[in-house]
Amino acid sequence: MKPVRVLVVDDSALMRKLIPQIIESDDSIQVVGTAMDGNFGLRKLEELNPDVVTLDLEMPGMSGIDMLKAIMRHHPVPVIVVSSHSTDGASVTLKALGLGAFDFVAKPNDVSTRMSEIAQELIAKIKAAAQGKGISVTPLPPALYKRQASKANPDLAAVPTRVVVIGVSTGGPNALQYVLSQLPGDFPGTILVVQHMPDGFTDMFARRLNETCAIQVKEAQSGDLLLPGRVLICPGNRHMKVKKLPLGSVAILTDDSRVNGHRPSVDVLFRSAADEFGSLTIAVIMTGMGDDGAEGLGAVKAAGGMTIAQNEESCVVYGMPKAAVERGYALRVVALEVLASTLQAQCSGDNSSRDRGLGGRSARAGQN
Amino acid sequence: MSGKDERGAELRELFFETAAELLQALNEGALQLEKTPADPEVVRSIRRTVHTLKGDAAACGYRELSELSHEMEDALALESASAHASLADVTFAAADVFTDMLAAYRRSKKVPDGSTLRAMIRKLAATPSAKKKTRKSDTKKSIGSQWTEYEQLTITTALEQGRSVVHVTVTLDPQCAMPIAGRQLLHSALKNLGDVLAQYPPASSSSVGRVVEFAVATTKTIAEVSARAKIPTVASKVKSELLEGRAAKTNKAASATAIAPTAPVVPAPALNLESVSHDPLAPSGTPHQPENILRVDAERIDNVLNLVGELIIGKSMLQQALNELVADDPKHPVRGKFVDAMGFQARVLNDLQRSVMKIRMVPVEQLFRRFPRVVRDVARQCGKDVSLVITGENTDLDKSILDTIAEPLTHLVRNAVGHGIESTTMRTAAGKPVQGTIRLNAYHQANQVIVEVSDDGHGIDVERVRAKAVEQGLISSEEAARLNETEVLRFIFQPGFSTAQEVTEVSGRGVGMDVVQSVLQRLKGTVDVDSRPGLGTTFRLRLPLTLAIIKALLFRVEQRLYAIPLNAVVEIARSVESEVHQVDHYEVLTLRNEVLPLVRLGRPVAFGSEATAKKLFVLVITVAERKFGLIVDSLEGEEELVIKALDDHAISTDLVSGASIMGDGRVVLILNLAAVIEHFARSRSAGTGSVLSGLLLSHADRARMSQSAAGGHA
Repeated sequence: MKPVRVLVVDDSALMRKLIPQIIESDDSIQVVGTAMDGNFGLRKLEELNPDVVTLDLEMPGMSGIDMLKAIMRHHPVPVIVVSSHSTDGASVTLKALGLGAFDFVAKPNDVSTRMSEIAQELIAKIKAAAQGKGISVTPLPPALYKRQASKANPDLAAVPTRVVVIGVSTGGPNALQYVLSQLPGDFPGTILVVQHMPDGFTDMFARRLNETCAIQVKEAQSGDLLLPGRVLICPGNRHMKVKKLPLGSVAILTDDSRVNGHRPSVDVLFRSAADEFGSLTIAVIMTGMGDDGAEGLGAVKAAGGMTIAQNEESCVVYGMPKAAVERGYALRVVALEVLASTLQAQCSGDNSSRDRGLGGRSARAGQN
Repeated sequence: MSGKDERGAELRELFFETAAELLQALNEGALQLEKTPADPEVVRSIRRTVHTLKGDAAACGYRELSELSHEMEDALALESASAHASLADVTFAAADVFTDMLAAYRRSKKVPDGSTLRAMIRKLAATPSAKKKTRKSDTKKSIGSQWTEYEQLTITTALEQGRSVVHVTVTLDPQCAMPIAGRQLLHSALKNLGDVLAQYPPASSSSVGRVVEFAVATTKTIAEVSARAKIPTVASKVKSELLEGRAAKTNKAASATAIAPTAPVVPAPALNLESVSHDPLAPSGTPHQPENILRVDAERIDNVLNLVGELIIGKSMLQQALNELVADDPKHPVRGKFVDAMGFQARVLNDLQRSVMKIRMVPVEQLFRRFPRVVRDVARQCGKDVSLVITGENTDLDKSILDTIAEPLTHLVRNAVGHGIESTTMRTAAGKPVQGTIRLNAYHQANQVIVEVSDDGHGIDVERVRAKAVEQGLISSEEAARLNETEVLRFIFQPGFSTAQEVTEVSGRGVGMDVVQSVLQRLKGTVDVDSRPGLGTTFRLRLPLTLAIIKALLFRVEQRLYAIPLNAVVEIARSVESEVHQVDHYEVLTLRNEVLPLVRLGRPVAFGSEATAKKLFVLVITVAERKFGLIVDSLEGEEELVIKALDDHAISTDLVSGASIMGDGRVVLILNLAAVIEHFARSRSAGTGSVLSGLLLSHADRARMSQSAAGGHA
């Protein structure tokens, strides 16, 4: 097999040594060159024509963001951002993802003790990027709905029609942005999202979404109510579950150990939703590597809920949806472009009757 | 595996190289910032440098450096910070601290904690206009108070139903060892009164905060609720109030007032937690990284050290046994094996001892750190301009010694600023720079650590000390005239001696120098002073590396075994009684044209021709820069001694500072040389009329001796 050829762009001499060392521990990866800033990086990009670029965003001269823009314009190639935990690290990383970076790897502060873990992650992402269909940033549709001023102070007693649970990984930030920006502020269902992302990034991620979407988006806190028109993003490094309580339903965060190697894990959320809400659950498995969420989707299906997988064409990485589809857990397979309208239809109109029966389910399944 | 280690070492080497360049860039950035303050481009480049340093340090596992640079990077991201006037200073400080940290990592020494820098960084970030901070608190407001949304819902629902809801704020008793269990107890107590609608911190939380809040729907009065919550030994303070309308606002105000008064009473560790969790800049929700540092009770280390000491005694016992065996049968077949095994054991024991000692060692920086502030404060009080230069702060010293010298050293530094450095006008008149300089220095010398405090002031006026000593009746004027400068200066360590003209707040009350001296004696160290008129004064503290084990020279006096620290011994001379001369009331020996005062520890020889030919050993020692000869009967060799402290009941003289047990079970007494010399000097100046000797004799022995001496004279 032809090795994946990688260009490492980083202003730290140490990182230019360390990153090749750790990723070349995998035989199928070959580092063809390194560059210390954006200008060199672009020159080497032309010269070496690598399959994947790893990119540090903080560099002197031409910054990582500028280089990323230039790459996407002139020489599109998958870029994996090597990001750091700092106040601005999350913000600039999310910006890079918006500009078309394939994915990112966060260097935690205790990076030296978790080196092998990070190496595994980086290697997996490089391989996924190399196998991907290159980069296709789906241009965002014009915002359908105006932001509502009142969304900061929601009615705590409001009850959602359905509980939508979404699991997503690589390619998620852009895909979620795409879907959520097309939902109205008075979306009748409540949405919970597990996006594989380290802590420190999810808060910024939720804030950015909240700024650009009509629907309210916030990083979940334990005890947050599941309200209509609200999206709760599970914070990094925690698990999110749901629970019905006498006065309303809430999200609960836990520190249980990793599931499928992930925390947050999509399976944890999906299974909990299936247990608590059964047929009122709508589970959506979206773009991402691996198979986290596939079994959870099965649990939702078994509990009589609706299960949806993003279609292969619109996925950056067709991994998690593929696992669910192959196991027969997805009742519907839909493209990113129509996901919002699908959710809208599922949560409102004739489905909004609060029946707990399974009657509606077979009908929906039939539509598929 | 070894390949990995090699790779790690190679990476670290690369790190040190590149980090040096980054620090250089940081210094250059700071310089540039001084020229063009708040230049956004310069600030950005500084931030990038710090960012790279942070990432590299993290990759090499240098946690402290990575965390500190992380904090700095975050602070630099704030808009207010770049406009901050002190940014250049902070950057300089950062470059220095980072350099120190790098040096510490390279030498695997203790890493300076950079607390000063951290404080500077926090100050940068704490400017009220800090952009991020306001944004953060904005979202906080919109989310609500400490109650979860569900709890808020339950509270408002209860209020809407016309129930009365009491907000209870309980401050846990600082003595309450288990705050989580305490919370549980409170919860059960309140449950008996009605419905507990909300609790903060949540029941499942492992937070050990000292303030717990509840919202209880109840028919009871506030007073009844308070009474119920006031569980002895759990709750130290309870505040209850009725909630009305929107719960969130009341709670916010209540929690703020509840936290403020409790802060001072919480014990230090809890206080830290408290302040961390309330720090608006601390990344919220990030769990504390497990530290790779163990905090161990000093007592436990002492226990280990004690056991090591016992092992050393055991080693001596074995050696003794081996010697006896060899003496009996020099060709014993297992002798070679025995010697090898002993050698091996000795090496391991040596390493073990050193490792344990190293645990107790801390850099004097821990102590020096406090002095910039001391100097600044005292200088301000006196209206002087004084700078402090610290060097050698990485010198390691036994923690207990470090703690003990803190006070004397502070005294010396205060004195140096208050009295050593002249007033600004005097300095100008003397043609000196207006700013005075205090230097703190520490370094290793042989088996000792030297800590120096020097100033560039006017020095100590020797003549005034001489006059004062006579005035205070410490010495006769004839004797005073004979003393050289060093000897005169020693008077400043006498209790109650002060040359300061007036008593000031800073110093000059005549207490202190003698305390310095006595503390140093207790530590088996010494203090001496070196003063040059018009140029300044240096106080030099000589401290043992450790208190627990010494290399000692063993000797016999009157059949008894004694020891003195080997590092005090300059040389060992052999002589005969006839060489010892009497001058005034003391004995001297001329050693290579130098007159050496002698201290006779045992009884003097009787007069007689055969006695004058008797050979004797003279141990030449230096105590506080003065040379003495100790006359001893015989030498026993050198040995590592594990000092066993003697309590006051066991021994009534300060001449002996401790004891040790030899391998063969014999007890050896360790002499306190400083006290011996003190005794010697005192009885000499007292002029008792007889040669001082027999210091180490028992009362009975001495009585007999003075009788015979009196007889001899008569």
